[in-house]
Amino acid sequence: MNGTTRIPWRAQLRAATIAGCGAALLAACAQTPETPNEVAATRAELSQLQADAALAPLVAQELTEAEAAVQLAEQDADAALTAHRVYLAQREIEIARAVGEARLAEQERQALVDEREQARLQARTREAESARMEADAARMAAASAQQQAVQLQQEIAALHAQETERGLVLTLGDVLFETGRAELKPGAVLDLDRLVDFLDKYPQRTALVEGHTDSVGGEDYNRHLSQSRADAVRAYLVRQGVPASRITASGMGESAPVASNNTEAGRQQNRRVEIVISEHGSASSR
Amino acid sequence: MDTMALRRAVALTAPRGALRCAAILAVACAAACASTPPTAQITAAQQAIEEAERAQAAQHASAELSQARSKLAAANTAVNGRDMDEALRYAEEARVDAELASARTAAVKAKAANDEIRASTRALVEELDRNTGGTR
Repeated sequence: MNGTTRIPWRAQLRAATIAGCGAALLAACAQTPETPNEVAATRAELSQLQADAALAPLVAQELTEAEAAVQLAEQDADAALTAHRVYLAQREIEIARAVGEARLAEQERQALVDEREQARLQARTREAESARMEADAARMAAASAQQQAVQLQQEIAALHAQETERGLVLTLGDVLFETGRAELKPGAVLDLDRLVDFLDKYPQRTALVEGHTDSVGGEDYNRHLSQSRADAVRAYLVRQGVPASRITASGMGESAPVASNNTEAGRQQNRRVEIVISEHGSASSR
Repeated sequence: MDTMALRRAVALTAPRGALRCAAILAVACAAACASTPPTAQITAAQQAIEEAERAQAAQHASAELSQARSKLAAANTAVNGRDMDEALRYAEEARVDAELASARTAAVKAKAANDEIRASTRALVEELDRNTGGTR
């Protein structure tokens, strides 16, 4: 090519440019973009994401696309085209970031699910444990109640007491006192000592001591005698350590015979001390 | 003759550093001078918007989705006004707006799912603590 052919081509270029593309495209050849700050900011934004150790490895493909978009924005172009390319590049960067955040969250999910399973398992284990402990406690309580009931029966049997509708009734025959006297015979306290043990063991129970006589003698005398004898029994129990508040003494006289007073055998049965033991307040009461 | 003549003219007249500029000019000119609608880009934008809508972007990234929709409308308006250069840019921007709407929606959903799991774990742990404290 020589110099003579250059001029027409240059003229053609000018003509083509003006006719085809308009004046705006001439600016595309300007060496500096009109919005260098935004281009630089976009590049900085991309660099920041590329340096993000958590996100960058998850979005290699997206970062490649964003890099291409930023490079395109960095190319010389007119202001409008550069602004457009900057916009696209910024969007590509934001897309890469959002995709990265979504993938990071998905990556974390398994660990979170595992953590939740762990907690659930722990809760279930704890639940089973406490259910087992409750069952154990209930079983033990039942066993202990059963044992207590058996023990009570044994103790009632040892006490020689009868279970009646009035409660446990311990009947002491006319061996406690000499005729007409209200002092306990020294050898007669064995049954009373068993009663003391029983009342010690069941501190909720109270005792009513009733003195009874046969019909021999005056009624007032008999009532008085039976009261004195009941008091003597009560005093003995208190001396043995049973709280006085738990024992009531009552002289019934000849008012409540259990047999005929016409025979000696009947009168002997009627001369007695009955001790009625309350059943309330005890775990094994029925 | 435009493009061919242009390239040759530039190649011959411009110094080597300006070659790149000339190439851009050629491409830009081809785009700017386009007289046919950017159908492919408009279709791409349309599809990206539909995809975002299916992903419930309206709920989770409504701003981005709205931008995509209005830019797609602007692209179509520009086509009607025979401004194909502007139509192309609007269509491209509508597409990336829609893609961003989808990406942000996915991120929001993924984080929400994690938060939900965390919350149920926390509830389990709290219940566990409460039970442990209460039994003894």
